[in-house]
Amino acid sequence: LSATGYGWLVLAFPVAGMLIVSFGWRVLPGRLPGWIASAAIFGSFLASLGMLDKVDAEAHVDSAWTYAATGDFVADLSILVDPLSVFMCLVVSGVSFLIHVYSVAYMGGDRGYARYFAYLNYFVFSMLLLVLASNFLVLIVGWAFVGAASYLLISFWYRRSTATYAGIKAFVMNVIGDVGLVVATFLLLNETGSLDYAGVFAGAEETFTENDGTLVAACLLILVGAFAKSAQLPLHTWLPDAMEGPTPVSALIHAATMVTAGVYLIARMFPLFELAPTAADISAIIGTATLLFAATVALVVTDLKRVIAYSTISQIGYMVLGVSVAAYGAGLFHLMTHAFFKALLFMGAGSVIGAMAGTQDLDRMGGFRRAMPFTFITFTIGALALAAFPFTSGFFSKDEILSYAIERGGGFVVLAVIGYLAAFLTAFYAFRMVFRVFFGEPVPEAHELEHGHVAHGEPMNPMTGESEDTDVGFPGPEHHVAERSWPMKAAMGPLALLALIGGVVGVPALTDTLEHFLEPTFEESRYAEVHPSAGTEWAELGIGSVISIAGISMAYVIFVRRRGITLRLRDRFAAVHDFLAHKWYFDELYDAVFVRPFTGAGSFGRRVIETDFVQGFIVGGATGVVRAGTSFARAIQTGYLRAYALLLLLGVGAIALYFLLASS
Amino acid sequence: MTIHLSIVLFLPLATGLIGAFLPRGMARWAVLAGTLAVLAYAIVLVADFESGAGGLQYVTDDEWISELGIRYQLGIDGLNLFMVVLTAVAWVACTLVAAFTEHDRPKLFFFNLALGETAVLGAFLAQDLALFIVFFDLMLIPFYFMIGGWGTGERVRATTKFVIYTLAGSLLMLAAAIALGVLSTPDGGEISFSLAELEERSVSEGTQHWIVLLFALAFFVKAPLFPLHGWVPETYRASPIVTIALLSAVLSKVGVYGFLRIVLPVMPEGSQHWQELFIVVAVFSILYGSVLAFSQDNVRLVVAYSSIAQLGFIVVGIFALDDKGAQGAVFQMLNHGLVVVPLFLVIGVIAARAGGRESLSELGGLAFRAPVLAALFLILTFATLAMPGSANFVGEILILFGAFEDKLVYGIVASVGVVLAAVYMIRVFQRTMHNREGPAAESREIDGLNLAAVAPLVAVVVALGLYPNFVVQRTETSTTAAVDEARGVAEEVAER
Repeated sequence: LSATGYGWLVLAFPVAGMLIVSFGWRVLPGRLPGWIASAAIFGSFLASLGMLDKVDAEAHVDSAWTYAATGDFVADLSILVDPLSVFMCLVVSGVSFLIHVYSVAYMGGDRGYARYFAYLNYFVFSMLLLVLASNFLVLIVGWAFVGAASYLLISFWYRRSTATYAGIKAFVMNVIGDVGLVVATFLLLNETGSLDYAGVFAGAEETFTENDGTLVAACLLILVGAFAKSAQLPLHTWLPDAMEGPTPVSALIHAATMVTAGVYLIARMFPLFELAPTAADISAIIGTATLLFAATVALVVTDLKRVIAYSTISQIGYMVLGVSVAAYGAGLFHLMTHAFFKALLFMGAGSVIGAMAGTQDLDRMGGFRRAMPFTFITFTIGALALAAFPFTSGFFSKDEILSYAIERGGGFVVLAVIGYLAAFLTAFYAFRMVFRVFFGEPVPEAHELEHGHVAHGEPMNPMTGESEDTDVGFPGPEHHVAERSWPMKAAMGPLALLALIGGVVGVPALTDTLEHFLEPTFEESRYAEVHPSAGTEWAELGIGSVISIAGISMAYVIFVRRRGITLRLRDRFAAVHDFLAHKWYFDELYDAVFVRPFTGAGSFGRRVIETDFVQGFIVGGATGVVRAGTSFARAIQTGYLRAYALLLLLGVGAIALYFLLASS
Repeated sequence: MTIHLSIVLFLPLATGLIGAFLPRGMARWAVLAGTLAVLAYAIVLVADFESGAGGLQYVTDDEWISELGIRYQLGIDGLNLFMVVLTAVAWVACTLVAAFTEHDRPKLFFFNLALGETAVLGAFLAQDLALFIVFFDLMLIPFYFMIGGWGTGERVRATTKFVIYTLAGSLLMLAAAIALGVLSTPDGGEISFSLAELEERSVSEGTQHWIVLLFALAFFVKAPLFPLHGWVPETYRASPIVTIALLSAVLSKVGVYGFLRIVLPVMPEGSQHWQELFIVVAVFSILYGSVLAFSQDNVRLVVAYSSIAQLGFIVVGIFALDDKGAQGAVFQMLNHGLVVVPLFLVIGVIAARAGGRESLSELGGLAFRAPVLAALFLILTFATLAMPGSANFVGEILILFGAFEDKLVYGIVASVGVVLAAVYMIRVFQRTMHNREGPAAESREIDGLNLAAVAPLVAVVVALGLYPNFVVQRTETSTTAAVDEARGVAEEVAER
């Protein structure tokens, strides 16, 4: 098989899995749908390995059929296999496989078990399509499909009003991003005459001068798409709400894969962004702003999953910063390590939430250290990697991004400094979670678990406090699995290992495996030669270590040594705390600026325009004329409709007669 | 291969007449057989159609009323090929559902249904302006009877409005057509209504202006576009579900089809003159329809207003006066029709689950015991909101690209409609299928009959999403030809 042959296989497996599971939902017994879906993704992973074996410095393109072609609008259903897409396929299918396995246990008792796996396979297919696309149209299709899959999985427990609301919010934000991409695609097609990446990149070199207005506009529109998907400012508000979905979904889609698509996109579009440095700079600034903003919010949020969600937004900010300062290898390196440790953190959180019978509130957790030793260890590993603790995976990848930013010099140094500041906050909030969940006095649920009983609290919606109807999915009678099931451990173990040692592919001066592997994709980059020296990188790693350890230590002091201090701090800085706890009031702002005017326009349209203008003025006017005619018509004993038709006919007849006469 | 379009055209009517002489219960089967035969014919047409060839194929051309220069002229090209397919498909699905539903006076109902198909096919196939108008007005009659006779609620008021609006439009168009025929007759020449002939002849630019306007009024009423949609809410609410499915899916396309078949090629200057205004009206319809669709509580009316928005997109595509825009419009006419028919059938099923109520506030949670229904509805929802990967998206993106080409601002405003469509369609899906069961809703799986009608249509929608070029390559030549002259005029004006 050729590289592209394997590429098609990568796509075919999840499609097959999805079709088997969705058409066989009634006949497939027990947990079989989950295993079929997992096997499908494993097939994709193997095929990705096949691509890895075959891929070389060339970009291989293969087309299945012409998707749509009219005039200069020509798009094939085609895939592109190069080191970047192979790398993405490996990360996506590998992490997805582990999360599928985890889900087999986690969702085991759910009523929508088969539906869940059909959606999950559909998601993986869409994500792989996105990264394998070789032209803008296929990219947009994959782009929208992952948005749809995300919607379906966020509102998976559709009996919860909060879940369906969050689903709509995510979907609409994603569509805004799609539209951005569509308009960008038009601008590029219009100027370069092509929809293929290769054609656009080649055409852009010829057509555009540096910072050409149209090109900058196109790049900014691409960023709208990227930021909507990757939950960057100001399009981030959907991601925390997306935590309404089942926890493995949060791990897979809203941490490890889909939300990093924006990073992939910027990296893929690097020839355009390098020609439009203004857009790249804006991207870097927004990425930095986002990473700081989200880190501050993560300090105060008390919902365990939402802390991790804000952490995701923040970490993607780092990646965006990386790919925007032309540190493509570093940005993608962080994308990979983040996928490992963030998926791991979510899986650990899922385990804890299971033990808490669905409660996600940090304030009610504590002391799970002994009750769930496996989760404790793996979650801590994840937190260490997130905090960039020395020699964990996140340590190397995060610092590499910041080193590159410093190397670029000028204003980028400021961005890097902010990055270091947020790194301190990151270490702090990462261990705020660890200490609050696993340390301190065991809560009743933890006690019970130590004696082997899984808590069975009254199932309720953590957001609204409504009680859930248990026979319809959430949370399901067998939902409370809490690390008792081997597939969960089988998924968390390898991820913990990867989170710990995943950095080996990018240790400065020792191993540059990843960087070297991705080189062919980015060899055209004008910054290919910009590279911090090994000495600088190690010096900066030293700074990173200090910051990380300082953050962890401070969390230790506040949450373990002097537990009472948090309340006092909160009272002391009530204004700051409120501001952060309201997530900088973004939701309120959007509600006032977009949602209310829109619904207002709706009811204005319905009440005033429809009733008074269309029905009253136009229709009323028409019927008024008819009525006037009718009173005349009634005199000659005809129904007004007939009279009306007759009158019109006579009128038209008169006009016709006039023209016939006039023409002769 | 010889294919006689007259057979296709009058087959439904013939079966309707045959049905009139059959026993009471049998009429429906005759009509259903007729629609199936038309569908078979349509499939043969698509298979046999020569994609690359310009001009008409399978032409029938006979004298009809020679004194008035009216000919019986039928033909198929890329513009109407898939409109015929859409008509055939829609009628099969709707007749199938109707055939298994009890009606009063079934013979009359099915006769009207059959007559409706003949009328619509006639309007699509006609290559003579007078013949087009005959069929265009003939469409009104069966639908008037079906809504008035078998509708619900305020059906009398609804039909009155429907008829007044459409009739007023039709008569304006009739006047315009006569004027066009008369004024284009060269000195000493004979009057002709043949479209091919009219394209050759010319009328002065000033005359074109008002003739185009009159045609547009008729077509905008039919489409409908703001502010000529006053008949829509009541008609949609009162109509039987199969009638409204056909009205929304097929009849709405006849008007916009008329632009491409008649207005643009025959009166390019006039079309260019009103380009800006029509695009503004269409863009406003997109926004207005979307906002209204969002604020409706009745499921049918959501789809009704969404149709206004969708037809707005199609008109934007046509009056972009650009190859891509027109290509997208032609494709979107097919896509919208193919999606709307099953959408209405699903709404019928939903209403049946809620004791006939269609109010969103009373619905909800239907997916619970009806996963198949929910899955079908989901695919239709995604297609309606033109999600990338659906054929509707390809249509919409071509329309937008056509509009961007030199009406960038309008194009951008129109793309807001894409976002709004996502909002109102997902809202409908959520409010019917998701959340807890509403007070009136009972979750039950889709019945076999509706499944048999909806599932194949959904399969077609999915297949077109996979391979949209199947349609695009067949329509391209004719579409380009249809906008060619008007585009030329627009370019000239732009240069001046």
